[in-house]
Amino acid sequence: MLKDITLGQFFPGKSFLHKIDPRTKIISALLYIVAVFLCDSIMSFIILLVATLILIAMSGVPIKIIVKGLKPLIFILAFTTIYNVFFYKGDTPPLVHWKFITIYAEGLVFAVIMALRIICLLAGSSVLMTYTTSPIMLTDGIERLLSPLNKIKAPVHEFAMMMSIALRFIPTLVEETDKIMSAQKARGADFNSGGLIKRARALIPVLVPLFISAFRRASDLAVAMECRCYRGGSGRTRMTKTRFGARDAFLFIAILLLGTAIVLSNIYSYYFPIWLT
Amino acid sequence: MTKLKLVDVNYTYSEGTPFRKDALRNINIEIEDNCITGLIGHTGCGKSTLVQLLNGLLFPTSGEVMFDGNNIKEKGYDLKTLRHKVGLVFQYPEYQLFEDTVYDDIAFGPKNMGLPKDEIDRRIKEAALFVGLEERYFEVSPFDLSGGQKRRVAIAGIMAMDPDVLILDEPAAGLDPIGREEILGGIYSYQRKRKNAVVIVSHSMEDMARYSDKLIVMNDGEVFMQGNCREVFSETDKLLSVGLDVPQITKFMRALKSKGIDVRTDIFTVDEAKAEILSKMGGCGNA
Repeated sequence: MLKDITLGQFFPGKSFLHKIDPRTKIISALLYIVAVFLCDSIMSFIILLVATLILIAMSGVPIKIIVKGLKPLIFILAFTTIYNVFFYKGDTPPLVHWKFITIYAEGLVFAVIMALRIICLLAGSSVLMTYTTSPIMLTDGIERLLSPLNKIKAPVHEFAMMMSIALRFIPTLVEETDKIMSAQKARGADFNSGGLIKRARALIPVLVPLFISAFRRASDLAVAMECRCYRGGSGRTRMTKTRFGARDAFLFIAILLLGTAIVLSNIYSYYFPIWLT
Repeated sequence: MTKLKLVDVNYTYSEGTPFRKDALRNINIEIEDNCITGLIGHTGCGKSTLVQLLNGLLFPTSGEVMFDGNNIKEKGYDLKTLRHKVGLVFQYPEYQLFEDTVYDDIAFGPKNMGLPKDEIDRRIKEAALFVGLEERYFEVSPFDLSGGQKRRVAIAGIMAMDPDVLILDEPAAGLDPIGREEILGGIYSYQRKRKNAVVIVSHSMEDMARYSDKLIVMNDGEVFMQGNCREVFSETDKLLSVGLDVPQITKFMRALKSKGIDVRTDIFTVDEAKAEILSKMGGCGNA
């Protein structure tokens, strides 16, 4: 049951996007997100959709996996779509008017646009970052991007280390939870019946051992790190050094072009046929 | 009498994904009453998967698990009662303790069964006695105990449920020799008194030779050999061929034989070996 949760969706591969410096990908993802929110006209959405599909193709991650990754969103998608369909107030006469339900054409269009926006936002940014960058590379990238903050004495390295350790231990803790739940079930614990309070109480036999083992692991890890002379970030070197290259420049330019295209299509939307605005 | 029966059981992890892995293939075994069954095999041979099938924590991908002649996969089968009747002690059970006191922790299982208070109390005292836990520990927090004592508390917690079948996954793992002896000895005397079915999972041939009546040897997800200790350990070469060991004393007897001393090699306990060697020496002295 718990094993089905995909955490740290990294999809190993050797695609164009996999080989790009994590820093480039993080910044590109941020730019991409800004671009998604700039989309205003239907034309700009077409551009965005095409760009997102190209990004997915460049990542080499199968569409099936990406669709599966979007599944947890179904609830939010359904909610926003329904909300917009029923509550959007348009200027044109409503399409449907029955008792308290009024649906406007604009509402339908807006609902589709919102849904597309959410899907693109998630698919695009996860293809740029989580699917194609291993958690270690990702934290590495964040650390290096934030390293100027060291100047104002912000503990950037410590922060990045905490993040990578947390990421590293998520699967371990999930496995442990599974194990403890099985063990308590074997002792007759029941997690699936009774009211909310009874169910919450039933989790105590899982949570107590889980917390204890998490603390035990943390203290073991701290000792192990100290035994290997870990003393924080200063003077630490890296095994793999990442460098900006032609690929990174290419991705930057491509994302900037995408942004420009979207802004232009918003401004000049009146040049396009009316149904594209 | 057969308590648990597995018929043509297969188990596959992550069926239908690229990560699929056959954990168990074609398992046909029977767990009998009034018998300690030893389940032996290498790490990763499927022992721990197998024991979880026995109390319905996992269900076989194909094949049947029968408890008292009923298929546990059938609709409406009461899994909760099954788990009361088939007690499973996981590997490193000391990490599942959570109550404030040792007493309350042992009481968790029996309480879930809905037993009356005085019955729970009686069972706790009895179980504690079997695992060698003194009553002065009852009001102590389980987290203040040593590793070995925590393990006893956890085992007592399952024993107090008074299961028809008690399964222990590596109950002696990570303990020192004295601790191993005490835990396994406690389980042994518990079984001899209750006359129920006990399954001990282990990879120590030594321990299994001493404490089990019947052995099931697993290799790579399949049942490799089964029978009583003598039957299994007499086929030393077969065991060694898959990298499993035989008890030290069996090896010793084989070495004696290869040196030209005519002793039996189907011996797996020190006492038996002593008797055999003495009888051979006595024979020599008389001649």
